[in-house]
Amino acid sequence: MKKNFTYCLLMLLLLQFNGAVIAQQSTVNGKVTSAEDQVGLPGVSIVAEGTGTGTVTDLDGNFSLNVSGTNTVLVFSYIGFATQSITLGNQQTLNVVMQPEAKGLDEFIVTAFGISQEKKSLGYAAQNIDAEAITKTKQPNLVNSLQGQAAGVQVTNSGGAPGQSARIIIRGINSLDPGANNQPLFVVDGVPVDNSTIESTGTPRGLSNRMADLNPNDVASISVLKGAAATALYGVRAANGAVIVTTKKGKAGEVRVNYNGSVGFETVNQLPKLQDKYGQGFSGEYQPSSFWPSWGAPIAEVQQTVSDHKYQDNWNRVFNTGVQLDNNISISGGNEKATFYGSFGNLQQEGIIPFSSWNRTTAKLSGSVKVSEKFDFSGSVNYSNSGGNRVPHDRFMERMMYWSETTDVRDYINEDGTMRTYSNTNPIYDARFATYEDNVNRVIGNINFNYTPTEWLAFSYRLGNDFYSDQRTEITPGPKGIDGEVPLSSTGYLEETRINSRDLTSNFFITLKKQFSPDLNTSLRLGNDIFERKYDRVTGRGENFVIPDFYNLSVASQIFASQGKSIRRLVGYYGDLMMDYKNYLFLNITGRNDISSTLPKDNNSFFYSSFNLGYVFSENMELPSWLTFGKLRASWAQVGKDTDAHILGSTYVSPSIFPLNGQVGFTRNSVYGDLALKPEQTTSIEFGLQTAFLDNRANFDVTYYKSNAKDQIIPVPVSDATGYSSYITNAGEIQNTGFEFILGGSPIENSDFSWNISANLSINNNEIKAIKEGIDEIVVGSQYGYAGATVTMKLLEGEAYGNIFGSSYQRLGTDPDNLFLDRSLPVIIGANGFPVRTGTQLILGNAVPKWIGGVRNDFTYKDFEFSFLIDFRTGLEQYNQYANFLSAFGKNEFTEAREDFRVFEGVLADGSTNTKEVWLGQGEGPDGVDYGAGYWRNHYRTTSENFVSDASFIKLRNITLGYNLNPDLLERTPFRTARVSVAANNIILYTPWDGFDPESFSAGAGGNAIGLTGLGYPGVQSFFFNLNLGL
Amino acid sequence: MKAIYTILGLMLFLALSSCEDFLDVNENPNNPQDAPINGLMTNATYETSLNVQAIGSITSNYVQYLASPNPAGASDIMDASNYSGLWFDLFNVMTDLTDLMEKAEAEEAGHYLGAGQILMALNLGMTVDVFGNVPYTEGFDFSSVTPTYDDDQALYSEVFSLLDQGIQNLSGNTALSLGGDDFIFNGDVSSWIKFGNMLKARFMLHTKGTTTYDAQAVLTTLASGMTSNEDDATVVFFEQRFNPWAQVAINNENLLLGGWISTQFIEALDGTSYSTVDPRLSLMIGATDDGEYIGVTNGAGRGNAPEQGARSTLIPDQYYTYEDSPLLIATYAEQKFIEAEVALETDPSRAYTAYLAGIEAHMDMLEVGDDEKMDYLNNPEVSMGASELTLADIMKEKWVALFLHPETWNDARRFDYAYKDMTLPENLNGNLNGQYIRRLAYPDNEVSRNGSNVPDVTLLDRIWWND
Repeated sequence: MKKNFTYCLLMLLLLQFNGAVIAQQSTVNGKVTSAEDQVGLPGVSIVAEGTGTGTVTDLDGNFSLNVSGTNTVLVFSYIGFATQSITLGNQQTLNVVMQPEAKGLDEFIVTAFGISQEKKSLGYAAQNIDAEAITKTKQPNLVNSLQGQAAGVQVTNSGGAPGQSARIIIRGINSLDPGANNQPLFVVDGVPVDNSTIESTGTPRGLSNRMADLNPNDVASISVLKGAAATALYGVRAANGAVIVTTKKGKAGEVRVNYNGSVGFETVNQLPKLQDKYGQGFSGEYQPSSFWPSWGAPIAEVQQTVSDHKYQDNWNRVFNTGVQLDNNISISGGNEKATFYGSFGNLQQEGIIPFSSWNRTTAKLSGSVKVSEKFDFSGSVNYSNSGGNRVPHDRFMERMMYWSETTDVRDYINEDGTMRTYSNTNPIYDARFATYEDNVNRVIGNINFNYTPTEWLAFSYRLGNDFYSDQRTEITPGPKGIDGEVPLSSTGYLEETRINSRDLTSNFFITLKKQFSPDLNTSLRLGNDIFERKYDRVTGRGENFVIPDFYNLSVASQIFASQGKSIRRLVGYYGDLMMDYKNYLFLNITGRNDISSTLPKDNNSFFYSSFNLGYVFSENMELPSWLTFGKLRASWAQVGKDTDAHILGSTYVSPSIFPLNGQVGFTRNSVYGDLALKPEQTTSIEFGLQTAFLDNRANFDVTYYKSNAKDQIIPVPVSDATGYSSYITNAGEIQNTGFEFILGGSPIENSDFSWNISANLSINNNEIKAIKEGIDEIVVGSQYGYAGATVTMKLLEGEAYGNIFGSSYQRLGTDPDNLFLDRSLPVIIGANGFPVRTGTQLILGNAVPKWIGGVRNDFTYKDFEFSFLIDFRTGLEQYNQYANFLSAFGKNEFTEAREDFRVFEGVLADGSTNTKEVWLGQGEGPDGVDYGAGYWRNHYRTTSENFVSDASFIKLRNITLGYNLNPDLLERTPFRTARVSVAANNIILYTPWDGFDPESFSAGAGGNAIGLTGLGYPGVQSFFFNLNLGL
Repeated sequence: MKAIYTILGLMLFLALSSCEDFLDVNENPNNPQDAPINGLMTNATYETSLNVQAIGSITSNYVQYLASPNPAGASDIMDASNYSGLWFDLFNVMTDLTDLMEKAEAEEAGHYLGAGQILMALNLGMTVDVFGNVPYTEGFDFSSVTPTYDDDQALYSEVFSLLDQGIQNLSGNTALSLGGDDFIFNGDVSSWIKFGNMLKARFMLHTKGTTTYDAQAVLTTLASGMTSNEDDATVVFFEQRFNPWAQVAINNENLLLGGWISTQFIEALDGTSYSTVDPRLSLMIGATDDGEYIGVTNGAGRGNAPEQGARSTLIPDQYYTYEDSPLLIATYAEQKFIEAEVALETDPSRAYTAYLAGIEAHMDMLEVGDDEKMDYLNNPEVSMGASELTLADIMKEKWVALFLHPETWNDARRFDYAYKDMTLPENLNGNLNGQYIRRLAYPDNEVSRNGSNVPDVTLLDRIWWND
């Protein structure tokens, strides 16, 4: 309390601070025109540098502004045009011609609290992505549209399901907590919003991350703030970086209406290599109702007696062509007093797995009113409704594994509605009837007030809310009561889940500006930030339905209910001082004190700060003419982090099984939260160099960073004998270091033809510096593999995040202390002629990519536009669960060798070369030896090392060809602009991975066990036809 | 301007004065800080029955009641499996019992304290019987993050001490009475006392091969034990939660395979290993589609048999597999076999009477018809007479009567698995060197979280009473 009081007092004192500069007032008038057509430009922003004074031009490009003193520098800026700074002198009239900007939009960047800041002045790396680069990707999920577009930003699509979540990680994983959210904070128009992914309980179904609720067509730009320095002002919630989304606003001028629509088609982009020679049965024998889908006799052989026995090509035929329809319309306009923007959007998507779907309808309204020169306000409301039927993709693909390759998978239903099957469950029948529908209604809104009583003082207040309700209904039918049916479940169940979440954000800040001398400008921002999240989930589950096919909780004979609530509050006080010396030396100091409701009262208030320095040496020294711009950056920053709500101390829980016989049982919660928990602290340093060459035709940016997250708040797994299983305490340290490179340019630029290129590349190194004494490892997750092939992702001191442990073959000369599998050593072959397996868990690979990057190319030729985006990742391995299952069921292409003999490469225990020939098939081989279930079932599938493999890829993410209708043609139509384009996503995937697209993984964006692919929803490639019209 | 400062000042004042209350919202709204003692009793009795079943589901393959339908099933072949879940369940109940006993003492609820001590003794004893040395004295109160292990023999002393205290406390006064929260005896204190004595006899019997064993003391204890099937310690299952063995049978029907019967068990009852056909066979397990009883050889798998209809399995709606069947924790039948074994050397006729009473008690549980029961009991192979009764006879009948119960594995280890016709499973875990398993491996979770304290043992290292 005492500490808080000090801060509050400080703020009060600062309010007494009075501007010493009282200068002469004068008025300047003028007109701003475009160099292209000499027509007046409306809406150009004019700011008197170093003051809060500014205005925008009217419809004809005219402006009038009160300024003080003759040294005033007026900054003219307008999107798409080069910003100009003009020293006023004694002029009363100032006409300005704006030059179109070739280089794009990255001169200004939106940073903390929606403050647009000149990129030149930043002491840290930040990257901007404009609306066009976002919508061109044709990704319905905003997070996906960032793929490959920013250095150090890894976006992973968790699968190809409609609406499925995507995961974003900036500069590596910063927490040892397997359940931590390592993703950045998303901020929409200055208001932090929820981007959580709440997966289904039970089998994975590919739910959405909540940013998918936002319509990408409403987005004007996204800036990615990477380090702690960039985000110190958002406090604890931005410890993993921040993604600042600015939505479209109305501009002064004519009312504009824009329509864009597209239709898209998607198909699976890559399949594992499969065998088509052997059919249903086991031991090489044909058995028409066998559980075994493809260990039977050669199909061609059986066909001679059973004429309809054939390879059904089920893996291609089971998938539909997905369809995506997207329609958006927006209307915007305004005058110098008020602007507005409104839009409607509707997206309908059907996925490649039958019966998977997702729809999104959005409506947005935003506006701003300038009441007077001193007071303006603005606000916006985004409404969205989203959801669909989420098929159980993991289970679907698992059932595909078991499904006979010689039975048509699409022939799945009998006339009476029961499943058509020879005995195994048909995947399509399951996908159709075991439904899981979500329906999310969400409102994100904000309202802003700005009051500028004098030119050196401004008050700003912003209130934001993010409310959503998520209704989920899961139904798995029980038996219909028809003789001979194979039901999906013996009881059937209905689960109704209702989630309500509400975020409120209040932010008040005061901006003070002072020019100490013409060379030294300062601005100081002081503010208060309050955040609250209330969350409530209620689940009701009914089992054993009295009437088949009638699903209502009131007619179930067994009922279970549960509830989970939480509330989290944060109060922050912050200050941000910016100093600009001669427009080439920029210093930014921030400080923030957060008080969190989630930490123990004695430790819940904590302070952290950052120092950022930018030195534009190109403005301070003589440089060769080819070097247009050069800046060095350096920053040191800290950010604190609190924890989840309601985790402190010891509690009791009532297991969900109760009440039983009217009694409610209790057990001690197995999680104990340290009562002396203190905030986690991440310290990062960053150095960078930004350069531009040949009149901005080329640019290059390099950044080095190092961040250390210490005193991590992690659930340390402890012996169950302690009375708890998990002890949440401060322990451990994790370090990320890396380089980021950005290269861009406009190699060709003339009136007919232009070529723009931007590329980024980054490398990240991660090391777990410490866990906790006595605790050897933390398990992040594990995934099933047959007969001892299960792999586990574990964290070990001194090693990197993401190591995958599993079984392997014994190798001669193995160092027993080596944690890593050394694949270069010779495999030991047993007396039976097969490689010898060891269950000792060794590191078989690491699932976090070392290198990631992307290249974007944009070409225009007259009215045509052509662009493509390539991204890649490399230096990572993943567990291929598909391959494990396929080998267990004799479906991989290589199992076609089942009637062959082989001499396994390797050595016997005595070191001599193996020469023993063995048969690979099942049962008794031609050599008279009984091989039992055969090589792949007895040996291959049991050994994890066969399934942990290189998951690098290069993808042609997007390729677009567009044509803008010539203005001459449009003259006779009501349209101002018209554009048609065709686009394709993921049509080229180059990867050593044998299987579906290695990007898919089953944990969903909320999980950290990324290297375990599971039987994830297969990745897709898509084709789009787009139409844009402007009125 | 002045107005602004006033407003701001006021806002700050309000913010300051309400700051503390505003942030004081961290009390857990889902989980209470404290639990009522009867809620702890409910969960402890319920979970204890599940612990018995969980161990039983592992050991039923070791003692060849059940066999895996798949070749080389881990339990069948006595592989070192990871039983982290079982370890958690055992320590979780013992943790809750620690809290329960502490509360009972504070509230002077002597009966809760006594019942808690008996349940603690049972769970601790079961834990020691499968794992040997385990953490205890440094456990449950978070005094150490890496609790050290107590010696298994010392823990047995603790088991007996807890049982003695429990029986004493149940016989005394209480400020609170047990009731419907007690899922085992529904608050019947005299049944608890009998149960405590019966358990004491069970654990004393385990020590038969050691110097601490005192046959007379066991017989004295048994005098205060159970007197009929009415006294059985069981938890009757619920409409909302089926008996776990019923669930196994239902799942198996739905092709989630489990509950397949071992050939060893069927042949012991169908007239193959013994000449008598046991009338209990058809009441305990299901027949094939052809009405036959065919088992699976442990470790061999079902071979070419289909998933359904060709082998005997647990099937729904038999004594052990009704949805609301009781889970048996300790039975009068078992007590009679304890008595038979203990009396065998000193008082064969008492042993013989107890042996027959044990069979009869189990048959009554299964509701075997009187004629069939008498036919079986009068068969000379069963009623061989007091002088002919051997330990093997007692062990065989106890093995049948304790179907699916984990106590059989304790018997089997004491008896060196010398059941008639019992052979090592096929595909036996190679590390066992052709011998039967003697303990469970310490689970992976414990090794990774408390590695420096975990004893270095193999599956052949014996629990102290089995040395």
